Amino acid sequence: MKKFCLALAGLAAMSGHGMAASAVNLDSEPRTLIVTEGGSKSEIAIGAGETVQFCPNGCFVTMPNGDREALNGSETVEISGGVGRIK
Amino acid sequence: MAERPDKDTMPTQTMRRLPILLIAVCALFWTAAASAQNVGSYGAGLIGEQQAELDRLTAKIDELDRKVAASTEDDAKLVALRTELETVSQALLKSGLAFRPRLAEINARLEQLGPAPGDGQPAEPDIVAGERQNLVAEKAEINVLLGVAENLSVRVKRLIDDIAAKRRDLFARLLTKRYTIDYALVGEVLTAFSEEMGDFYRTVSSWLRFVFQFKLRSVTAAAFFALAAAAVLVIGGRRLFGRLFAADPSETQPSYLGRLSVAFWSTLLPSAALSVFLAATYFFFDYYSVLRGDIGVMLRSLFYVVAVVFFVHRLARAVLAPAQPEWRLIPVGRSAGRLLVALVSATAFFTGLDHFLSRVFEVLGSPLSLTVGESLVSTFLTGALIVLIGLVKPFVDAKGKARPWHPAFRLLLYGLGGATIVAGLLGYIGLARFMSQQIVVTGAILATMYIGFQSAAAIAAEGAFASTALGRRYRLWFKVDETTLDQLGLVVSVAINLVIIMIGLPLILLQWGFQPGDITAWLYRLATEITIGSFSFSLTGILTGIVVFVVLYFLTRWFQGWLDGSVMARGRVDAGVRNSIRTGVGYAGIVLAGLLGISAAGIDLSNLALVAGALSLGIGFGLQNVVSNFVSGLILLAERPFKVGDWIVAGTVSGTVKKISVRATEIETFQRQTVILPNSELINAAVGNWTHRNRLGRVEIPVGVAYGSDPRKVHAILLDIARSHPSVLKNPEPFVHFSGFGDSSLNFEVRVFLADILGSLAVQNDIRFAIVEAFERERIVIPFPQREVLLRRESEPPAGDMSAPPVPVAQAAQAAPAVRRRKRPDPV
Repeated sequence: MKKFCLALAGLAAMSGHGMAASAVNLDSEPRTLIVTEGGSKSEIAIGAGETVQFCPNGCFVTMPNGDREALNGSETVEISGGVGRIK
Repeated sequence: MAERPDKDTMPTQTMRRLPILLIAVCALFWTAAASAQNVGSYGAGLIGEQQAELDRLTAKIDELDRKVAASTEDDAKLVALRTELETVSQALLKSGLAFRPRLAEINARLEQLGPAPGDGQPAEPDIVAGERQNLVAEKAEINVLLGVAENLSVRVKRLIDDIAAKRRDLFARLLTKRYTIDYALVGEVLTAFSEEMGDFYRTVSSWLRFVFQFKLRSVTAAAFFALAAAAVLVIGGRRLFGRLFAADPSETQPSYLGRLSVAFWSTLLPSAALSVFLAATYFFFDYYSVLRGDIGVMLRSLFYVVAVVFFVHRLARAVLAPAQPEWRLIPVGRSAGRLLVALVSATAFFTGLDHFLSRVFEVLGSPLSLTVGESLVSTFLTGALIVLIGLVKPFVDAKGKARPWHPAFRLLLYGLGGATIVAGLLGYIGLARFMSQQIVVTGAILATMYIGFQSAAAIAAEGAFASTALGRRYRLWFKVDETTLDQLGLVVSVAINLVIIMIGLPLILLQWGFQPGDITAWLYRLATEITIGSFSFSLTGILTGIVVFVVLYFLTRWFQGWLDGSVMARGRVDAGVRNSIRTGVGYAGIVLAGLLGISAAGIDLSNLALVAGALSLGIGFGLQNVVSNFVSGLILLAERPFKVGDWIVAGTVSGTVKKISVRATEIETFQRQTVILPNSELINAAVGNWTHRNRLGRVEIPVGVAYGSDPRKVHAILLDIARSHPSVLKNPEPFVHFSGFGDSSLNFEVRVFLADILGSLAVQNDIRFAIVEAFERERIVIPFPQREVLLRRESEPPAGDMSAPPVPVAQAAQAAPAVRRRKRPDPV
């Protein structure tokens, strides 16, 4: 019974997942974000004008200019001039 | 096995702490938000707060780290620690998020201040330089704190991974740990058992005394609420699914689908009701704090076991229906059915009893030998019962002889039962218990899933959905026909299969020791990203794409219908234009829907463009004809040399245009043969259209009269006939052409114009009848060529004797046309 409820909750949680955060690079050169998500750091390279989806469940991001931000997974990050702005 | 009695207090503590934690987090959030409103002045305060929060979380993580390191034996404790760590991880993220408003402010202000002046530039006022310095310093501080939070989150995740590894180890050890089983154990177990039962009795009776003396009202209320909840489910369920629920004894030949649905509902509803009752009872007991720690654990285990045993029993009864042979899902014999239900229920009972007793022994802190001995007995019993189930000969063949199970299934049962017994006897009690529990619970889930799959297959059968209550109702509401209902049945069947897999698979995985978190993470990864080489796509994306495409497709169809039926019909737009616009809109809509669907599926269109570029050469050669037809189709739609309903002649094909599509055009000949003509042929070759701008057309009727007739009189008669026909147009007026002097006749041709060329046959008939009648009246002869045939007898002297005249035996008339007739298409 308990496990059944958990399974149902899991299913509900799954259906409740929204979209991931997205980052768009408005610069004319590729930029790199450092994303710490689920315990591992990874670098995401974003080409000029590209948009990438990342971080569905919340993460920490280091912008190209060294600024750090925490994201909860629904934001849009705009990178221009190496500076990331959260919309 | 060697678990301490306090192992299950951990989750309860977490549960109790949860509200406090929530309040703390909310308060934190609120203060963060409040601080953001006061620009600058609270910046330092925010940093201080978050610094404190991070310190607290660090301390907590340190503590949890120690606990994780310490608890290598206790699975439940590890799960609780994992939950706590996940909460901490969330708190870390929230702490990081709290900086966002302040960071945004700092960034905005720094941007307003602009960059610091470089060398050679005029120095800025001190106040500006000071503010910039302060802001940069604050930002650096925040960055440091965020870095701390980030590192902590990495550490938390590592701990969570650590826990997962430990639990795996623990599980492996549980399955491989061996206990010595000898005669000494028996004596030990017997003494310990009597002692522990006394203990158990004292614990329970003291609790009952406590309940009766102090909590009677609460218990009554709890029982009442729980019963009410269960009653709502049972009564509501019976009202909703009443007919599906109970087997009708008067029905002698219930359909397979009917049997399945009765089995399904009569298992599900009572089980759900009982589960709700037990869960509600436990919840209210907990709510009114009737439960003490030890009793709570025992009661929960008891409830869990009762629910599972009840479910298995109901399931076995529903499938085997020992009392109602017609309603059995598996065609077993009557006595075999009864025996099987008893055996299956007993298996579930002993497994449940083992689960419950081991939990009780844990709570009471009994010696390990007791748990081992008890588990040995119950796993042995379970194994024996499973072997017995395999030994039953359930089926009855045509001669009335009992037939055993399918050999594979029988072997499986023997194997499982035997392995459980052997594992237990060899001392691998953990393995034996795990096996027996999995056999019962996983077996029950699999059996239920199997019934579900079977009902899905039964619904997909032809005409099955229409006969269900849902199908009948649907038919009544939407007035759909059999075929649509059948297709709906297919859809329903697929949906049922999906739902069964979506519910059943996680349930089984949970039974096998996977965590809900793992399963959701897998599912999420599966749904969001599947990578093949450098190309990655997501299932949800593809589903979204399909949904977008379908929605847009139907929208296009609707728009097409609306544009054609409402706008263009009212606007009296020419039928050809209407058809062209409708077709064009349809294709444009489908292309648009396809493109949007592809981009919604997350497939980059620029990749497609690359592929298309590479393939275009190949397409140019390989699909030359198709492309040429396609382009021709577009030209046909734009240029409109003919429209639907036109009578056209293209090469040897003559007929009415039925449909113009992008690749080919459908033409129906007057023999009602449909000819599919590729569009390129209609574009590249000449196409005659009888009804292009109007239906006006000329019909020629040739006729010959014998030499000697008065040609002027004939001309006048013919002209009169042509003029007097009602369908013949006055302008251009009919004309009679004296077309020549034939071999045996004077040739005339009546040329008349008709408003509708499609009715020319009737007019031709009328005119020809009139000509024949008029010529007869006026004694004008229509000549025909005559031929004399001379036959010679064999006995007569051979050639040379030409004096004997030949005997004319027959005069054959040949109805060859007197004049050459102009070939023209037959309009009917």
